[in-house]
Amino acid sequence: MKRVQVIIGLLIIVMVFHISPIRAQNQLKLSGYLQTDQRILLQSPNDWVWNENRLSLQLDKKVSGKAKFHSEVWLRNMGIPNISTASDLYNLNIIDPWNLEIREAYVQVTGFLSKNLDMAIGRQRIAWGTADKMNPTDNLNPYDFEDILDFGRHRGSDALNLNYWFNTNTSLQAVYIPFFRPDNLPVGMFANIFTMPFMLPAGLSVNRFSDSVQMPQYNFRESSTYGVKLKGLIGGFNVSISYVWGWNGLPDDIYNTFIPVDTTGSVNIRSTLTFHRHHIFGADLAGNIGGVGIWAEAALFLPANDVVMTNNLSALYPTSPVPVTQQTTLLKKQAYVKYIVGGDYFFANGGYLNVQFLHGFVNEVGRGNLNDYLFARYEQKFLNDKLNVIPLSGAIIVSDWKEVKNNYAVAYMPEVSYMATDNAELSVSAVFFKGKGDNLFANLNGYNMLVFKVKYSF
Amino acid sequence: MKTIQFKMLTIGVLLLAGLTGTVNAQDATTIMKKVDDVMYAPKDMRAVNKIVLTDRNGRTDTREATIAQMGTNYRIFRFTKPASQAGISVLSLPDDVMYLYMPAFGKVRRISSSIKNQNFAGTDFSYDDMESKPLTEKYNGKLLKTEGNTYVLQLTPKSQRSAYSKVIMSVNKENFYPVEMQFYDRGNHEIKVAQYTFIKIGKYWNTEKITLKDLKKDHTTSMIMSDVKYDTGLTKNDFTVRKLQE
Repeated sequence: MKRVQVIIGLLIIVMVFHISPIRAQNQLKLSGYLQTDQRILLQSPNDWVWNENRLSLQLDKKVSGKAKFHSEVWLRNMGIPNISTASDLYNLNIIDPWNLEIREAYVQVTGFLSKNLDMAIGRQRIAWGTADKMNPTDNLNPYDFEDILDFGRHRGSDALNLNYWFNTNTSLQAVYIPFFRPDNLPVGMFANIFTMPFMLPAGLSVNRFSDSVQMPQYNFRESSTYGVKLKGLIGGFNVSISYVWGWNGLPDDIYNTFIPVDTTGSVNIRSTLTFHRHHIFGADLAGNIGGVGIWAEAALFLPANDVVMTNNLSALYPTSPVPVTQQTTLLKKQAYVKYIVGGDYFFANGGYLNVQFLHGFVNEVGRGNLNDYLFARYEQKFLNDKLNVIPLSGAIIVSDWKEVKNNYAVAYMPEVSYMATDNAELSVSAVFFKGKGDNLFANLNGYNMLVFKVKYSF
Repeated sequence: MKTIQFKMLTIGVLLLAGLTGTVNAQDATTIMKKVDDVMYAPKDMRAVNKIVLTDRNGRTDTREATIAQMGTNYRIFRFTKPASQAGISVLSLPDDVMYLYMPAFGKVRRISSSIKNQNFAGTDFSYDDMESKPLTEKYNGKLLKTEGNTYVLQLTPKSQRSAYSKVIMSVNKENFYPVEMQFYDRGNHEIKVAQYTFIKIGKYWNTEKITLKDLKKDHTTSMIMSDVKYDTGLTKNDFTVRKLQE
């Protein structure tokens, strides 16, 4: 039924807008791509861990000389059949899971009210920051962590986006996002990558775990995110400063109720999760020094309040005259800074080198909890850019410099891609993880895999 | 006496040689200035640029882009075909400032000027070849000969960072448009040859087609210009990051 509705919807769009594949003024232009992304574990028996078939449809229309409409919709067949009961066989969404997602849909008006003012309204991606994919200042849109290997992916937000241009290089941007939407968490084999180990009081073990998430009130004051950014060109460098009053997209576990189920210390835990507000002051720059492209970006996060986790153990001590609770501060109301510096260089032989140093990954919050990451990529193009070999691509992570040998991770992702035709690209890559300790990629230890992608653009 | 006569003859020959050299240099500079005057006469230009890549087996790939240019320092290049590259745009500004817009990432990125080391978008043209810098700014010239309806000049790059040791350029005597350019690497081997055809549009001579062959790779790139419009009133405001994202 859902599929029929989608097909009817698409047909209506076609009829209403009169889609033309030919680029023409005031006609709706349809473009996009079809991509399959398949991953298997390298370790026998080579489990299939990722199956994604994505149809991205992009519609563009110039409404007038000043206004344009843009949208991107993903129609995806995602995942592997997960059938556990006979009744599942009646459910096509379990046998053949798929979903539809509006990534962007907005109208942009250039010279709105004033010739220097641009406005975009609707669901849109507002990408901030000068670094490559890892952007500490890019905090307006929620992160899309679904595929953790697709670093830096965000979803669009329903937003009002105003840009005032003082001159050709200087602009002031103001963004208002009325509804808070949290980050979506990784799926499939990556599902537990952000799960922190739960520290239980001594002698207890978990029988059952349940949780509830408290979302902010959806009103003008509570759920909104605001951002402003001033951009300019100083001494040949693109620079900007920014401020965001927003929400952290990943939830905090703030309240756990322990309920004993037997006398052996087995407990059920009910957790309450919520999100915290923070101020984010950002700055970035990008430019060239001696032919080397360089960039730097930093964001100072100031949580609005302390985030405290309370464990309610009262049920374990029924005779106690007062509630028995433990409190742990997860995040203090004190500023912490994430930053990234990097550079790139194009070699005459078709090579390209990109190196970045990051302090504080997207999921890390609070002073003392930020790890260091060194990312490097070297690409070599052949056959007039048709063949792209990436022998070096990966990251080194250190979570404790005092004891590196037990607190590190290495991710290595070599890749080869080939443009078989003008619009068809094939790529094969391998992904290796190795590490120890408590960090993002160490959690993926042993999940080495082979990735095969085909992308056809139209 | 004989010694004095020989000395005078020697001085005479040297003076003549020096004078000839000066005349040649002046001729070359004059010709190069005239070429610059012809090639950069329009205030601005808009056009559609079709790029055909042909490999040694005769297989072709086609790309298409729109181009807008003002003077020699301002240019926006937007790919419209193939679909895999459509929307990718490059803005070039003075002082080697370049920006790249990739619709898939939804933002403009400053590009390292070292990209000039590489060929442009998989073509046989380097970014240096694509640069609209006047010949007199890029090269020192020397008139080698006149041959039929052409002047043949040797151009030596002023920049030590150039990939070329010299360029031999043939220029049409009547309209001062380049007919052919042969590019030599630092080892003095001919590595590329470009041939130009041109037509007059309104009061300006216009490159209709450039065919550049990479002799080592046996690979050819043809750039064919169409829908060319001159002096459309472009300003600096048309060459901004704001415009790049439109």
